[in-house]
Amino acid sequence: MAERIEDLSVAELGRRFRGGTLTSEALTRHLLSRIEEWDPKFHAFITVTKERALADAGRADQELKAGKDRGGFHGIPYALKDIYDTKGVRTTCQSKLRIDHIPDADSVVAEKLHEAGGVLLGKLTTMEFANGGPDFSLPFPPARNPWNADHLTSGSSSGSGAAVAARFTRVAMGSDTAGSIRGPACFCGTVGLKPTYGRVSRRGVFPLAYTLDHCGPLATTVEDAALALQAIAGFDPQDPASADLPVPDFRADLSKGVAGLRIGVPRHFYADSPALQPEIGAAIDKAVQDLREAGATVEDVTLQDYSLFFACGRVIQEAETGAIHEADLRSRPQDYGQQTIQRFVLGSTLSAVDLVQALRVRRELTRNVNDTLMRYDALITACALITAPTFDEFKGLAWTASQSMPFNVTGHPAMVVPLGFGARNMPLGLQIVGRPFDEPMVLRIGRALETLSGWDKVPPPV
Amino acid sequence: MANPTPEALEAEFDMFMARAGITVPPDRRPAMLTGFAELRAQAAMLRDASRTAAAEPSNVFRLSPLDLEKK
Repeated sequence: MAERIEDLSVAELGRRFRGGTLTSEALTRHLLSRIEEWDPKFHAFITVTKERALADAGRADQELKAGKDRGGFHGIPYALKDIYDTKGVRTTCQSKLRIDHIPDADSVVAEKLHEAGGVLLGKLTTMEFANGGPDFSLPFPPARNPWNADHLTSGSSSGSGAAVAARFTRVAMGSDTAGSIRGPACFCGTVGLKPTYGRVSRRGVFPLAYTLDHCGPLATTVEDAALALQAIAGFDPQDPASADLPVPDFRADLSKGVAGLRIGVPRHFYADSPALQPEIGAAIDKAVQDLREAGATVEDVTLQDYSLFFACGRVIQEAETGAIHEADLRSRPQDYGQQTIQRFVLGSTLSAVDLVQALRVRRELTRNVNDTLMRYDALITACALITAPTFDEFKGLAWTASQSMPFNVTGHPAMVVPLGFGARNMPLGLQIVGRPFDEPMVLRIGRALETLSGWDKVPPPV
Repeated sequence: MANPTPEALEAEFDMFMARAGITVPPDRRPAMLTGFAELRAQAAMLRDASRTAAAEPSNVFRLSPLDLEKK
């Protein structure tokens, strides 16, 4: 197959920009053409910012010519989930309630990507306010899976998953409150990185649940994700949860392999779940075997029961979401999508005591995972227990089909990497969980799995 | 916590909605009641009689790498 520029990694694109064999403008024009050709089928974008993209690309090329190099993201196209505020560009949250909202300032992530020399291609669809599953009652159609457009992308970063899988962009920003980066990564065969809580500023991103929300990238490869995280990580004194810690070089350990590492597997989370598709369990078993053959020690570990993590996260999420939407639920209930309102009202059924009990449990669960990570460098476990169903098969909120919530409750970094294909040739993956702020270890193991599984050689769907 | 009858569950849900000032769309009500029953059961899971008064929550949720180093 002839070389296609959309298949070049972020690092390789950067090398070509600097070597003078490719310009950011040429790449951007090519990607805009792909979006124009394919997006009517996949519905990844709510807004394509063509003029802004070409202006960003032109600036990047001129700066490189003039000797100004902003680093690894210079001239690289990206797109943002439509809950990230973008100055002067409509930010709808896929909701009638914010259909005409034009922010007067960028979110911190948008600002950082611009400062890093990135090229904004547009705003990506989401479930309404980053909630739940696909809903045809919303203002814009739901994203469709580029591996098979009859299938879901998962959510809520649905457009982000579709855009990366379709190679409209190598990097798209998502948000993850209960798995909304990692779920679409599993269903769409992309990498999805939820950094540690506090690593990336959430300021200017519409909240779903304050203490569970994380911002992070979906990307074509682990290295692409590392470069994106490099551009967006860092302390923000105006985000009350932001961590004032140094930002490491996220690519530094990528090629170190896994020899000598100790990896735990909380198999009890997923192995006994009736929702688990056998090929996903088999793919994780194969990954464990590959890691052992590459020199890692991999052992089963026992954490608290999965259902306790899930119940804790669910109570916190419904309470926080209910508080955020309390006034609009009273005054504009008709403007919410069907799935959104049936979910968002539930916070009003919880008591203050329910929330405090959840916060007490949260501390115990966080300690439980930390205690285990004293003995292991990282954990690997299932994320989505199924491959992407079709739209016809989707019945309401598939609560039991993804095991991402535990690490929103505890805030540990967690990343999905694709491993291959499962039922009906739809992608499947697993998640890697690291110590707080040890994203370099998560990325290192992810890069090893990407290579060992052969996923890095799999041709894209379009 | 005892499982309520369907009628009692509906009455409880209606009370919460009335208190919150939320008008429930009739076509969404069955799904809301299902979600309410699930969430009610999940909230009950978080009550463990063996948890003592010393089991305090973190009032500000903030992770630190020092959590591991202190051990």
